[in-house]
Amino acid sequence: MLIGIDVGGTYTDGVIFEQGDIKASTKAPTDSGDIRGSVLQVLDDLLGSRKPETIQRIVLSTTLVTNTLATGRGEPTALILLPGYGLPHDAYKISEHTWYLKGAVDFRGRQIDPLDKSELAAAVVAIAGLGVKRIAVAAKFANRNNSLELQIRDYINERCPEIKVSISSEVSGKLNFPRRAVTAYFTAMTLTEWNHFADEIEAALRQRGIVCPVDILKADGGTLSLESSRTMPCETVFSGPAASTMGALALNDEKINSVVIDVGGTTSDISLIIDGHPLYAAKGARIEDHFTHVNAFAVRSLALGGDSPLLIAEGGIDVGRTRQGPAACFGGEAPTVTDVFNVYYKLNIADAGRSQAQLAKLAKENRLGLSEMCQTIVEMVTERLMTAIREMFAQWETEPAYKVWEVIHRRRFELHRIMGIGAAAEAILPPLAQRMAVPLFSHQYSAVANALGASVVRPTLSVQVHVDTAADICTVDPGGIRAGMMPGGKVQLEDVKALACKYLVMIGGERGMGEYTSEYQFFMEEQFNTIRGYSGSGKLFDVGVQVLPGFIHEFKGVR
Amino acid sequence: MKPTGILFFPAFDWAISPSHPEREERLLYTRDQIFEEGIMDLPQIREYEPGIASHTDIARLHFCIPDVDSQITEAHLISAGSALRIADAVMMGEVRNGFAIVRPPGHHSMTVSHGNRGFCNINNEAIMVEYLRHKYNIKRIAIVDTDVHHGDGSQEIFWDDPDVLFISFHQDGRTLYPGSGFLDELGGPLAYGTTINLPLRPRTTDTGILWALDELIMPLLAEFKPEIVINSAGQDNHYTDPLADMAFTAQGYAQLNSRLAPDIAVLEGGYSVETALPYINMGLIMAMAGMDYSALREPDFDPARFKESSANLDYIKQMVERQLTVFRNREEIIAANRKKGGEFFSTQRSIFYDTEYISEDQRTKLRNCPHCGGYRIIDSSAQHHDGKYYTAYCISLPSWACTDCQNEARALYKDILPKTPNLQVFLQDRPANIFRCYDVKSERETVL
Repeated sequence: MLIGIDVGGTYTDGVIFEQGDIKASTKAPTDSGDIRGSVLQVLDDLLGSRKPETIQRIVLSTTLVTNTLATGRGEPTALILLPGYGLPHDAYKISEHTWYLKGAVDFRGRQIDPLDKSELAAAVVAIAGLGVKRIAVAAKFANRNNSLELQIRDYINERCPEIKVSISSEVSGKLNFPRRAVTAYFTAMTLTEWNHFADEIEAALRQRGIVCPVDILKADGGTLSLESSRTMPCETVFSGPAASTMGALALNDEKINSVVIDVGGTTSDISLIIDGHPLYAAKGARIEDHFTHVNAFAVRSLALGGDSPLLIAEGGIDVGRTRQGPAACFGGEAPTVTDVFNVYYKLNIADAGRSQAQLAKLAKENRLGLSEMCQTIVEMVTERLMTAIREMFAQWETEPAYKVWEVIHRRRFELHRIMGIGAAAEAILPPLAQRMAVPLFSHQYSAVANALGASVVRPTLSVQVHVDTAADICTVDPGGIRAGMMPGGKVQLEDVKALACKYLVMIGGERGMGEYTSEYQFFMEEQFNTIRGYSGSGKLFDVGVQVLPGFIHEFKGVR
Repeated sequence: MKPTGILFFPAFDWAISPSHPEREERLLYTRDQIFEEGIMDLPQIREYEPGIASHTDIARLHFCIPDVDSQITEAHLISAGSALRIADAVMMGEVRNGFAIVRPPGHHSMTVSHGNRGFCNINNEAIMVEYLRHKYNIKRIAIVDTDVHHGDGSQEIFWDDPDVLFISFHQDGRTLYPGSGFLDELGGPLAYGTTINLPLRPRTTDTGILWALDELIMPLLAEFKPEIVINSAGQDNHYTDPLADMAFTAQGYAQLNSRLAPDIAVLEGGYSVETALPYINMGLIMAMAGMDYSALREPDFDPARFKESSANLDYIKQMVERQLTVFRNREEIIAANRKKGGEFFSTQRSIFYDTEYISEDQRTKLRNCPHCGGYRIIDSSAQHHDGKYYTAYCISLPSWACTDCQNEARALYKDILPKTPNLQVFLQDRPANIFRCYDVKSERETVL
């Protein structure tokens, strides 16, 4: 018995999945002030009289971290940046409480300038004086050499043991200093809250006699054990859209190109599947208007859903962004987008008479023809969705490329189908599919595909290794630096690939996902000869290997 | 304000040869630096994907012997195509200016291309100039070549074009490849004064170069009034460049680009891959985006290290005076040339392709046209390294050719076919955007 729970912005969905069938599903309004409560309510609903020992695994997808950051409830955190020589300091608009210190490293990991200890001391005194108990530290090129970050952390640990320090090189080993700094900063801000949540969930499960593994869904469509998530809360952002995308793939994983549209109450999340693989956001998850190093699906969210209200605007009828309540057919006061489709296409959803009556009233009040008004709304909704989809295609088609091979093999996005997810999808998406001349895929479980997706996805892990033979540096992400692990001399690409796999197995083992680390794929294999004068001085390698998003071995498809 | 367009195409899978300066590693550390800085994420920057130039785009500028495919690789099409992509972004008003950080480079490549010269097979900026003229109807264009090597390819291409102001400053040709770019190279008889060279002494510093910019280049641009300014942006004037001997810094490059304010910059040479390129490219991007670059410097930069000598400054001042005078008197000299010239101006020259050891012989003719810059004929022959001799009769009609020149050049192409001793005859008909090549042996014509 597998349980998946997806805490969304409006509703929390949960399913029990077993042997190809959903045995139970439930839905409750999300209380954004008490996400733990929402999770437990749905869990208790699902469990009913079922025996806790029959549960094999629980996967949670939550908005906790996203909410914490969006509502400014993160822990007060100071940011120490070592930006070296380059962009002006005002380019980094991350935190009001930012200290810029001297100390610099270059792209080969060579130290250019040492730390200025007196400057550091003054900054720490000032931060301690503010009563701040968390500091995030990010140095440019710390992914190539993290000694400056380590020195700062050691110094603070020694002088102010009450202050906890997060360093960027442990958060991500990828290039892009601002994204690393932001990710470290958000991690520091949410660690306490997230750990508190994890403690509470663990306690609540113990109380219920549940002992199965608990995993957390990540933005990249994979899971992470609750225990491992304690050091990387930011990985949990935007897991809702990831749940829907993986849910769509769980329903049908044909190796074709699809658009997945999760039509919710007030938003529609759109993601792309290319040859059966979800497309990732090229610049990582965007949190609070900052790009981060959190690997996430490319998702576009439109403020448009089944509960979006109708508005009378200057130019006539329009669709509003803010939900006022459920659709009239479900007992709401004012008519919504769902009511329009209900009436225009005679769908007979719930109390269709109420849809008709409320829409007729609105039309009459504004001296509009009912049918014309509905047609306008249908076209508007379809047009907005289509524009967003086309923009996503264009973005994918115009991604930068850095190799001849990539440019020559560039493709246009050829759409094969639309996959509708969410309760309102079946009502709202048919005209879109017709306009785009592709079939609309839907399934009896489409409405709860998000929670279904959460319940059956497997853990993911991506490991990147950077080796500089001349400098004898080997850095591994995640995990920070492990220098000098490569023997000098004749290192070949195959050696670095083997090393990357070794780390994948090791780190995967630490995270309790050993079952899946043998199913890896390389996503990056770069090697450069470094030539100085007229002969080679060494080699640079960048190798990335990952366990792609997919499904657990127990999952054999849905009936 | 609109963003600055950046197109970064490091061609990580292309090299002339494994240890050649023009190899995969060249933009690797630039990649590391600009990615680590996160500058592409800023709202001031819009990153573009590479483009692919068409064979027509190339034939609009070059005579590739025996054909386009034998002179290029896919990397060349992408490098040139990326310059066109950035040009489109600027012309469509999507960005306020644009910088194509691309390789392979192009500015040593001349009108006729028998092979690779100075690491270049085709001339990216020049292809872009003809593209801008064809697609956007732009006439007057200025190219400022800031590479340490004389941009001899671009100079030759626009030598007879009075509507392209080509300015190159570089290390003196007596001390560096390609050994040209002297003060008296001033353009053809009907385009005199719109080719301006400033050969600088080795070890000239920021002070000297920026002085030349303020006192020569900026006044020339102000008087010429181009519709578009292009920076042929080499990065090898840097004090650490292994192939040259100048003393320019990343700050100097950034300041130069701030003041020059080019609409489009296209990367040319620059082979100090670790100690210069990452910093110069950052500087150029920041300068073009109007950002504060005062915090930028090379790790080993020492502001006290390079001091311009007053003797060198005096030397530059003298050259600047002389070139300004030439430029300002150009109309009279062109008028005099028209008067005393015959029906055609003829020259002969030989061109050496250093990368491939090819020697080309050219006889050129320029029509002394009373209305326009005249059409050009290049009669070219060279032995390629397959051992074969290639001969080509190339007729080039400028975009703004007068009707007389157009009619005459088209007639010449037809008339010459039955009697030419050459293997190929080309007609580059830019006004009609048709590019013909007639193969004498097979009696077949290909049209692009």
